[in-house]
Amino acid sequence: MKRVTRDIDPENAQDLLKRVPRACMAFAGEDGPQAIPIEFVWQAGCYLAGIPEIDGCLPNPGDEVVFLIDEGIYFFDLRAIYIRGQAKPVSAPAGVPAGCSWFEVAPTKAVAWDYGMLREVENEG
Amino acid sequence: MKVDDPEAQRFINRTMVARIATLSRNVRPSINPLYFVFTNGVIWLGTDDWTLAARNARADARVSVLFQMEKNRVDQRILRVRGRARISTDKAMLRSYNVRVVCKYVLTPAGIFNALAHIHQIPLKLTYNAQGAEKGVSCIIEMTPEQVEFL
Repeated sequence: MKRVTRDIDPENAQDLLKRVPRACMAFAGEDGPQAIPIEFVWQAGCYLAGIPEIDGCLPNPGDEVVFLIDEGIYFFDLRAIYIRGQAKPVSAPAGVPAGCSWFEVAPTKAVAWDYGMLREVENEG
Repeated sequence: MKVDDPEAQRFINRTMVARIATLSRNVRPSINPLYFVFTNGVIWLGTDDWTLAARNARADARVSVLFQMEKNRVDQRILRVRGRARISTDKAMLRSYNVRVVCKYVLTPAGIFNALAHIHQIPLKLTYNAQGAEKGVSCIIEMTPEQVEFL
């Protein structure tokens, strides 16, 4: 039995981590879900997210966060990598503009998709 | 700023992909890119009722959505809209949404070019959509904005 999938190995979406077309993060705040655009740096295998300081709301150390780096508008161009993990405050990485609070995200889950890579795969189970 | 602010409305109308942040019943965050249409001050985001975005919005109506001008690299602003969501599977509403989405994302020069460039994958897209329909029904996350701000 086969099925069609959009999912790809996150390793095949590493170009998104390098180019960062659009990046945003979500976490649970007191007033509900917080969605914020982020600066993103992928450095030596570490996922670093910079939250603009204009936004007063930051995740607490250890909070679960998710970030999404995506690109594309039209169906077959839509690609993304989605990473869930825990946030830990860190100092700003070298070479980034000032004005952000930085967090390292220790990933617990990563998924990626690419609608331009729709294909049939064997159905698991 | 309120959503009836003309600049906010113009901005939303010029953006293509919304990123909606939601919380699960267990207060776990998620953020997903979705197609949307903006109609009468309300944002309709299309998905299926089994997706994380829909299940979360059903569990906790509070949502936060980011809009970014994808087609205008000069305008780097991001609009954040906070509000409340409800899930609708109303067929008339879905028909209206589908017509608007086709006009916005498919029946445009860029949309047609995108489809033609991947014409060999269209059967796979149809199968993919059919698989989704087997898991549940299409739905609209209808978001009523409460707070709007440029970041």
